[in-house]
Amino acid sequence: MNPDDKYISLAHGNGGRFMRELIADVFARHLANPDLDTSADAVPLALDSSEVLFTTDGFTVQPLEFPGGDIGSLAVHGTCNDLAVAGAIPKYLSLNAFIEEGLEIAVLDRIVASLARAATECGVHVAAGDTKVLRRGEGGGLYLATTGIGIHAGGSDLGMDHIRSGDAVLTSGTLGDHGVAVMLAREQFGLSGDLESDAASVLPLTRAAMAIPGLRFMRDPTRGGVAAVAHELRQATGLGVRLNQSAIPVRDPVVSVCEQLGYDPYYLASEGRVIAVVDADDALALLAAWRALPDGADAAIIGQIDPEPRHGVVLETELGGERILEELEDDPLPRIC
Amino acid sequence: MADRDDAATLARHIVLEGRVQGVGFRPFVYRLARELNLGGWVRNDVGRVSLVVQGSADAVRQFCEDLIDRAPPLAEPRIVSDEAATGEISSDFSILDSDSAADAHIFVPNDHDTCSDCLAELHDPDDRRHRYPFINCTNCGPRYTLITAMPYDRANTTMHGFALCPACHDEYTSPADRRFHAEPVACPHCGPSLHFRSETHDIRSNDDALAAAVDALCAGQIVAVRGIGGYHLLCDATSEHAVQRLRTAKGRPTKPLAVMFPPAGDDGLDTVRASVDLTSDEAASLAGTRRPIVLARRRADDALAPSIAPGLDELGVFLPYSPLHHLLMAAVQRPLVATSGNVSGEPVLIDIDDADTRLARVADAFVHHDRPIARPADDPVMRTLDGHPRPIRLGRGTAPLERTLPVSLDTPVLAVGGQMKGAIALAFGDRVVVSPHIGEMDSPRSLEVFETLVSDLQSLYGVRAERVVCDAHPGYATHRWGRRCGLPLTTVAHHHAHASALWGEHPGDDPMLVFTWDGVGLGTDGTLWGGETFVGRAGAWRRIASFRPFSLPGGERAGREPWRSAAGLCWEVDRQCPVGPSDAALVRQAWQRGVNSPTTSAVGRLFDAAAAIVLGIEAVSHEAEGPMRLEAAAGVAGTEPVSLPVEPATDGVAIVDWAPLLFRILDHRINPAQRAATFHDALARNILDQARRARAEFGATRVGLGGGVFQNRRLTDQAAHRLRDDGFTVLLATSVPCNDGGLCFGQVVEAAAGSAR
Repeated sequence: MNPDDKYISLAHGNGGRFMRELIADVFARHLANPDLDTSADAVPLALDSSEVLFTTDGFTVQPLEFPGGDIGSLAVHGTCNDLAVAGAIPKYLSLNAFIEEGLEIAVLDRIVASLARAATECGVHVAAGDTKVLRRGEGGGLYLATTGIGIHAGGSDLGMDHIRSGDAVLTSGTLGDHGVAVMLAREQFGLSGDLESDAASVLPLTRAAMAIPGLRFMRDPTRGGVAAVAHELRQATGLGVRLNQSAIPVRDPVVSVCEQLGYDPYYLASEGRVIAVVDADDALALLAAWRALPDGADAAIIGQIDPEPRHGVVLETELGGERILEELEDDPLPRIC
Repeated sequence: MADRDDAATLARHIVLEGRVQGVGFRPFVYRLARELNLGGWVRNDVGRVSLVVQGSADAVRQFCEDLIDRAPPLAEPRIVSDEAATGEISSDFSILDSDSAADAHIFVPNDHDTCSDCLAELHDPDDRRHRYPFINCTNCGPRYTLITAMPYDRANTTMHGFALCPACHDEYTSPADRRFHAEPVACPHCGPSLHFRSETHDIRSNDDALAAAVDALCAGQIVAVRGIGGYHLLCDATSEHAVQRLRTAKGRPTKPLAVMFPPAGDDGLDTVRASVDLTSDEAASLAGTRRPIVLARRRADDALAPSIAPGLDELGVFLPYSPLHHLLMAAVQRPLVATSGNVSGEPVLIDIDDADTRLARVADAFVHHDRPIARPADDPVMRTLDGHPRPIRLGRGTAPLERTLPVSLDTPVLAVGGQMKGAIALAFGDRVVVSPHIGEMDSPRSLEVFETLVSDLQSLYGVRAERVVCDAHPGYATHRWGRRCGLPLTTVAHHHAHASALWGEHPGDDPMLVFTWDGVGLGTDGTLWGGETFVGRAGAWRRIASFRPFSLPGGERAGREPWRSAAGLCWEVDRQCPVGPSDAALVRQAWQRGVNSPTTSAVGRLFDAAAAIVLGIEAVSHEAEGPMRLEAAAGVAGTEPVSLPVEPATDGVAIVDWAPLLFRILDHRINPAQRAATFHDALARNILDQARRARAEFGATRVGLGGGVFQNRRLTDQAAHRLRDDGFTVLLATSVPCNDGGLCFGQVVEAAAGSAR
């Protein structure tokens, strides 16, 4: 690659030398592993299990780099976490990069390096990839898409159809950190301080949870936050969900930003947390298992599955009141009058 | 009338509707017919009363006059038809059984205060109902809150489980008796009874339970008492300690608390007058059979706890309205705080188990009774605006409210109201029925009561809605309910509903000018309206003016933090905001970038801003706390006229600029009272200014003031006064609240008018 080229140009996507050099110098260099052959059209994968899980996800986060993570690590964590909460151990990833003309190559390099570190940490190999260059103005600097393959970890059989009225709902940690950190970074509020995304692999958490016999279901509360997960549970089970406001862990700086900007932390994304539904009898066992892990120190029992489906998702407030947590609208408008 | 061959005798078949059931109308007809020696019969049809009388021409004529003129106090009869009767007519007048198969022309009766006859018996040691907390007759007692189905018969009330003792049965079946078919009739032998429960006591005798409650109240305790339409939390209103305890336990630091007074003096209001100054209309409302809470001017020398209504110059006062309350007040002989037994914003609790659980952390003791409450009816609230007490909240005694629609509906419609101050309306033909206040619609219990009322109103009135009307705001719980209920849905813009509610009370062909000022509501352009001026009529409103838009940093949070409205205004004109957190940099950045900072033209938010700037109120614990305190702060201070520029319409909507007023209220050299007064004055002047322009352009001379802002007495009185002096006709809400509690009515009117064209 020409060292004078500091920015991505359309030539980096034309199939010629620039493209070959970009792949070699940025992608192959960071992502090198025995399964990755950038010259092959397809690669064989070794999977020593008959139960293979498969998922895919796209990443368009703005800004590309934010406190606690970047689009590269997120592209690994996001897909690996989807596999992990489904009870799988992630094995392989594919990577598609859509790079906008004009992106600083040093930025791309940092992001791919971060992506590689995250992959190593998650124990996955990036086994296939592709890059495309978009014309200036047609992409937000960089979009990534990853597809993941994992094998079933053994242990509990998971599914929303196993959920029963009275089951406990747990979170593995504080909620909303990622949403607030990214929003502050995106709006360039120049306020970071204690605020970092929680983006991380949840694999240690899910592996610990899979050992709990009464585990019914896990999900990572990304877009729409814990409220969205609760609404998915409600829709899939036909049961209600009751959350206990005072039990839901939210870090003080997140609370503070939410209070200042008028956001509700229950709708904000996390990228390194797990919401689990577990037989009430096993709730304390799961809580203990999670709290023993570095990423589970703030784990908490935050609610239960309610036989009364009529009101959907209900938040029990600190003063003994009850509030309906509505499903998120596209553009929530104030209802004050 | 003389259409029988025999001039000496007449026979008429008369059908009446209106409030004729559950109000002692049939016994009255019976007694009247007997008095005049007439033969015939009277019968309840579903919702109507049908009767035949035969006798001398003079006596029948007299009967027809007295039928309306001497009707019982709670009856509002209307003659639907009056024809010659044919066929065999018995010379002995009798009351026939109800005909439940007839068509629906039902009026569900309201709950009414104990009548003077029952009160006399209540205090008469020789009466068999002496001190019986559930005494009632055809002229008084619970109705709406105990009816489970129509027609109104005992079997269709929550009294159906109480078998009548022989004495009560005699009264119930004697046409000449005041308790003939008094459906909730009861006595100590066969009727409901009290149950007092506290940590140390469990008492089931009426007198002892009452005595225990009185002791607890006099000792400064908080007692939850099951009444007519739900539970109250009661405590000694003269004890600052008791009131503070109630506030802490209920998590209600500042919201004004209503006070019930022991009746005394000729009109029962002597003790009330020791705490508030009453107009004659207010006195009449308070002492009337509906017994609303009336917000009246508080006297400086009252003996009540200071924290009853902090920062306000008004007090919500009322008189007892059930025998239980009459007995309690007579025994404690002091004013009691009587606030709804609920969790803040939720509907008043009606069931024993719910109250036991949900009020456990608030109440020291409970007074339960075993007469089930079919559905809640919170206390109604009225405030004098432009000289007359007007409803702020419909409830026990005032709802369901019946009105005739100016435009008839083809199909029955259910209007589900808004998000705050929930209430629903069922409309069919030219009739509309508005429910009591439900509560804020964000709680599951509000939604439960909402669904109960949706179902109950339809079954009581025998009407099935074929269409639902809701607010256009997609985030309102009632809008979401409308979307999933399965019926065709019509949405109405929030302020169109406010305007149509006024038009529905004051219909007319002339163009009506309506100011709809409130907190915020979704406009047809996707922004948050609340300072809009319309001209036209229901179904055809044209928006002709609005306030200069500004952004609310933090969106919905502005409702509880008035400093945000102040900041939104100040930053808009590049001024420092004198209130709010010391470090508002992040909020300001978010505001600059439009992050969660929706645009609004709401005058309600101008009031919030003024309260924040003038009085330093940064956060509030209840809705409209800032504006209420701002109004109180204005007192008798003088004003300096401020004129708000009206920028002529470019797109049909003129823009009123609040900036000169903001600059004035930011001026610290002027004292707060004067700034508060000037704020109200400037808005009243602006109303006249806008009205004059509209008169010149559209010929509109009828001016309506609607939306929650016009619960402000100072603004409403001043605006009405200025308008009238200038030759305008001023139209205000008279029977439906002008706030969001009236939205459902406006939605019905708007839907009826819209579908009629």
